[in-house]
Amino acid sequence: MAGQHKYSVLLPTYNERENLPVIVWLLTKTFQENNIDYEIIVIDDNSPDGTLEIAKQLQKIYGEDRILLRPRAGKLGLGTAYVHGIQHATGDFIFILDADMSHHPKFMTEMIRLQQAKNLDVVTGTRYAGNGGVYGWDLKRKVISRGANFLATVLLRPGVSDLTGSFRLYKKEVLAKLISSCISKGYVFQMEMMVRARQFNFTIGEVPITFVDRVFGDSKMGAMEIVGFAKGLLQLFVAV
Amino acid sequence: MTRATEAATFFGITATLYLALLFQWLPITLPKTVQEFTLPVLPWWALVTFGAYSLGNIGYHVLTFRDCPEAYDELQVQISQAQNDLRSKGVSIK
Ligand SMILES: Nc1nc2c(ncn2[C@@H]2O[C@H](COP(=O)(O)OP(=O)(O)OP(=O)(O)O)[C@@H](O)[C@H]2O)c(=O)[nH]1
Ligand SMILES: [Mg+2]
Repeated sequence: MAGQHKYSVLLPTYNERENLPVIVWLLTKTFQENNIDYEIIVIDDNSPDGTLEIAKQLQKIYGEDRILLRPRAGKLGLGTAYVHGIQHATGDFIFILDADMSHHPKFMTEMIRLQQAKNLDVVTGTRYAGNGGVYGWDLKRKVISRGANFLATVLLRPGVSDLTGSFRLYKKEVLAKLISSCISKGYVFQMEMMVRARQFNFTIGEVPITFVDRVFGDSKMGAMEIVGFAKGLLQLFVAV
Repeated sequence: MTRATEAATFFGITATLYLALLFQWLPITLPKTVQEFTLPVLPWWALVTFGAYSLGNIGYHVLTFRDCPEAYDELQVQISQAQNDLRSKGVSIK
């Protein structure tokens, strides 16, 4: 389905020993079944749980041209992980998704289809539209998520329904440009990418996705995340 | 223009216009009821309307936020498939 194109997946990992093999298995399955050329770039920040060890074993199975290991010496954060990863990407399109299986690779085919149909610069997964949804969220988490998204939409008017989602497909040069112009960190980084994309008049499409809370490992969602979100949102409000 | 300056411009113009009407700086005569009763409460009405809209919007979207247990079930099956397959290929999975 993908013609001449090659898709590079950026997979930042921190303590994803249990998740990494499964997400890689699902990614390769999806790519192979649809005859898509791909590579998976694992950016591990020296995870204490030995994620890199598992990544090496996977590389032996799938090949060094399919699984690229680009580890870093310490936990340097998500934003810089993408910067680091894209430098090593040889594909003309880049997928970004979390390694914790919250994002199911099966949605990649729909994202590619939409991208090709409209020659879009960015396709983003949305939990908030169409057949999108979540699993494992209680009422409180839903209220926080919806409230935060509403606030962000009112302040930033980005034109997409899921601002904080992070399952996305980019043209490589578009992602490079966006990354180099983004200033924020963490959660807010994902929002800023969309806001900047609109600012540069890049075309954006949306594909409904389901989001399953991480099965393995601990979730970090807490009060600090909310405070960080609010601060970042205000910074974007005055900066963009 | 950043979103903040856009918002500031919008509120600045709206507020000026409102004050001009309220204090009758313009050579416009509004009906007496509008001038004496509607205008003084207009900002509060706008605030309450926006609040109600926000709550309604968030509430509606929380209620219609779809749960996807089928995605979870599918994932569980695929996790064990993946683990079995990779284990048989020598990956050290517990
Ligand atoms: N390389 C690298 N990867 C990271 C870092 N922080 C998070 N990640 C990875 O980025 C992805 C998203 O992080 P998560 O921890 O799932 O963040 P989240 O989804 O907001 O929160 P959870 O509720 O914990 O899932 C995962 O694949 C993580 O392993 C980091 O500092 N460096
Ligand atoms: Mg996660």
